[in-house]
Amino acid sequence: MNFINEGSKSLNVKNKKEDVKIVAFLCNWCSYAGADAAGTSRLRQPEDIRIIRVPCSGRINPLFILKAFNLGADGVLVSGCHPNDCHYSEGNFYARRRLEVIKEFLPFIGIDKRRFSYQWVSASEAQKWQKVVINFVKIIKEING
Amino acid sequence: MVNILENKLKEKISSLIEELEIIIGYSESKAPLKINPVFIKTKEEIDRLIFNNLCVNNLATYSYYLSADTKGKIGIILKPCDVKSIIQLISEELLIKNKIKTIVIGCNGIIDYKKINKAVNYQKIISAKLDENNITVNTIDKSFNFKLKDFFAQKCYVCNIYDNPPYYDEFIENDLKLNLEKKKEYEDIEEFEKSGLEKIYKFWEEEFNNCIRCYACRNICPLEVCRDKCIAQLDEPHWQSHKINSSEGKFFQLIRIFHLAGRCTECGECERVCPANIELLKLMKKVNQIILKLFDYRPGLILDMKPPLLTFKNVEQNIKDEELI
Repeated sequence: MNFINEGSKSLNVKNKKEDVKIVAFLCNWCSYAGADAAGTSRLRQPEDIRIIRVPCSGRINPLFILKAFNLGADGVLVSGCHPNDCHYSEGNFYARRRLEVIKEFLPFIGIDKRRFSYQWVSASEAQKWQKVVINFVKIIKEING
Repeated sequence: MVNILENKLKEKISSLIEELEIIIGYSESKAPLKINPVFIKTKEEIDRLIFNNLCVNNLATYSYYLSADTKGKIGIILKPCDVKSIIQLISEELLIKNKIKTIVIGCNGIIDYKKINKAVNYQKIISAKLDENNITVNTIDKSFNFKLKDFFAQKCYVCNIYDNPPYYDEFIENDLKLNLEKKKEYEDIEEFEKSGLEKIYKFWEEEFNNCIRCYACRNICPLEVCRDKCIAQLDEPHWQSHKINSSEGKFFQLIRIFHLAGRCTECGECERVCPANIELLKLMKKVNQIILKLFDYRPGLILDMKPPLLTFKNVEQNIKDEELI
């Protein structure tokens, strides 16, 4: 169940049933580096994730997440530095509050809570990133059925 | 009884008018069941002021833009629930406390005229007369007599500040008290949530089919001071198309709601002015319920308290990280 069908039309992606589209917002300093490390160390992971790099998880406006759903994303993943490890010292604290509110709110407009997740992955946690991606894609595929 | 209150109000205003540059209040309207906001500058105009159960407007809406345009002090006549908007504006430093004089009137409930329209089968109302407990409504061929207590606005059924406003400069007591059977807060939200994801999704899709993107909900909101640079009307960055359909309407509304998360005082103005009768307050209440659960915070009750999304704690007690491993 996409948030909106029109969006997926405009993206012009032919959706196979098993294909899912997941948008991931990664913070430049931890998670993006972590995902990069996962790539360079050749950890296998599903290809369904489209990564968007942002300066900090605090940069993520609720608008981004809603827009992604609006354009037909099946899931949205947000990842940033662990709390207390933010490059800008407090960005992810603000983000944590905001993201939690969104997560709690999504069921109220008819979107499954599990379609959105936020995680803390540091630059050295390539293996954690791999697990997060594998599990998140698995969950989204389960929901899509 | 109502006249006593109005006289008290007029007396108070005439003692204050010297120090205030402009006073915003309620006045008669030509349309039945409605009242008009009025901007008073001179002593002669004071007689136009009224106050009754039909004074639904939240006059705090005018405060932000008016205070930017005037040099002197502004007086605003408010109901106790409207004061919450002023408190919120002051605590976000959008209003200067010294520039506003809040004249609060004890409230005995306000009427939701959408309910009355429904009760008369949406026939054209020609005239209406209000007394202490009843309201008489005349349509073209019929006359209806309703008990007031069935027609109060949603927020009145959970109100507990009608005779003790959280903040005021001048308080005018009302001898009539709000005497209603209290409902549980967020009862309707919990009921709605039980219907399941599919149904909820459909409900909002149908509801927002009616949205005409008039932005009335945004313009009436006392806390939305971003009208000049509204993201929905910007072309650069072009976040949202100007199309009118269910998805765009919903998207705009969700942005609006997240801009108000932890700030909305549930005055219900957005729902009142919506020409498409979309149940906007429902969305807003849900966000407020989440904010209350996570951060134990109610907007608009304490002066000088930051909204929860503009601050943080190192350890959040009510937020648990989700493990995907």
